Order: sequence, then C-alpha cells, then structure tokens
Amino acid sequence: MCRESLRLILALIVLGVLAGCATTKVEPWQRARLARWDMRWDPDPVHAAMRQHTYFSKEGSNGSVGAAGGGCGCN
Amino acid sequence: MSLAAQMRLWAASGRFLQRGTELLAFTLLTMLSPDKSLAVEIGAKAPDFRLPQFGSAAPLGLADVRGKVVLVDFWASWCAPCRESLPQYEKLYTGLSRADFEIVAINLDEEPGDVKKFLAAHPVTYPVVLDPVGDVPKAFGLVGMPTSYLIDRNGVVRLRNQSFNPRDVDILRTEIGKLAKEPTHVP
Repeated sequence: MCRESLRLILALIVLGVLAGCATTKVEPWQRARLARWDMRWDPDPVHAAMRQHTYFSKEGSNGSVGAAGGGCGCN
Repeated sequence: MSLAAQMRLWAASGRFLQRGTELLAFTLLTMLSPDKSLAVEIGAKAPDFRLPQFGSAAPLGLADVRGKVVLVDFWASWCAPCRESLPQYEKLYTGLSRADFEIVAINLDEEPGDVKKFLAAHPVTYPVVLDPVGDVPKAFGLVGMPTSYLIDRNGVVRLRNQSFNPRDVDILRTEIGKLAKEPTHVP
C-alpha cells in the first residue's frame, strides 16, 4: 500500500477520534471533581496575586491570566 | 507500475477521500448540533421520580407529595451556591404549612460520604433524596447547578430558578402562597 493511502487512513482515524470527543459531554451534575479546590488554575489566590504583581512589575504588562467561572456551571 | 495498477490506486484514493469528507462532515455536524437533552419548561408536567431517601428506609417520589406545592431542588455538596441555598430553603420550609407545601431536595453527589458529611454540618428537616447516577436531572434537562423547580398542586412546573440568590426566597414564598390557593385536579 502506498504512503498516500496510509496517510489517508491515519487522517480518517484522527477524524474518528475527534468525532468521539464531540459526542462526550460533562453534565452539570458530573462536575464534582472539576469543582475541587485543587483543580483551579490558582489554588492559592494570595500566592497568585503576589506572582502576578511580580510579573507586571518586571514585564510592564498585565492581564490574560485567568477566566471567569467555576467548575459547577453555576456562574 | 502499470497503467491498470495506477488506475486502481487512484480509484481507491478517491474512495478514501470521499469517506474522509463524509466523516469530516459528520464530525462538524456533531460538534455544531444543539444539545439533545430538552429542559423541562414552565407549564410542562414535571417528570415523575422515586428515589431513596437520606436517613429513611422509605423511598420518596413526586407522586407522594402530589396535591401540595412542591419545590424540587437539585443540589450537591461540591456546589458553592448550594451551601447558601440549603439553610435558606430550611427557613422557608419551617415557616410554611406542611399541609400545602413540601420541599424535595435531590442530592447529586456521586460519593455517599459527601452528602452525609455535608448534612451533618448543614442539617435540614425537609426530605433529601439521593440520585448519584443522575437520572432525574437528565429527565429534567438540567443545565446548571443549583436549579430548583416550583411545581404546583397538579404537578405542573410554574417556576424555574437556575442559580441561587437569597432574595429568591421571598419571591418563592409569594409564589407558594399564590399556588397553594389554586384548585387541585388530583382525585
């Protein structure tokens, strides 16, 4: 079998895997683990604020370090 | 490679490309398709359920409280606003007549130990039923936590609250008072 055909088969497998992901959904009542404190980007807000202060002092830039909303889908 | 072999290869490649395009179209359609679960809207009949009750051997369902105004509250121990809502619903429950009003709180924790620990710290007197699998929220088409439904004496959803604010309790109290005066068609 030629290399092009193998590439096509590989592309089809990748697409199949992607389609599988598209049909999987975490329901609001299944978010117990996502809502855990240690699943946050910054589990310690004081430490995160200090680190961000150091960052903008050194780099002269700020922002783009977080997103609103928690794991439970209620915000 | 002979001409016939080359022709066969092109034909096979064409078939692969066609299948690939079909699969890509399916993937995109699946990603863009709307949510299949349909939320129970206001004015619709509330889906019936019967679940094991926390702290009691007898299961409890909507049919057991039919004829009363019922607040069905979906909650879990890990849901931050639920920690605020449970004590407020407890105040609402104790302040109203049991003849007209009932709360059925559906806990959705997957771990039974979590609900036990939570209710030890935040005790409530209204019935709490357990649905660790999540069949009932699926039937209601829940889109977030917490969500509560106010169901009238005939089993029809009259109010839906997808979040919790302490001010909601006053609105609920007024609505419960109105719904309790409505006639029931339950024999």
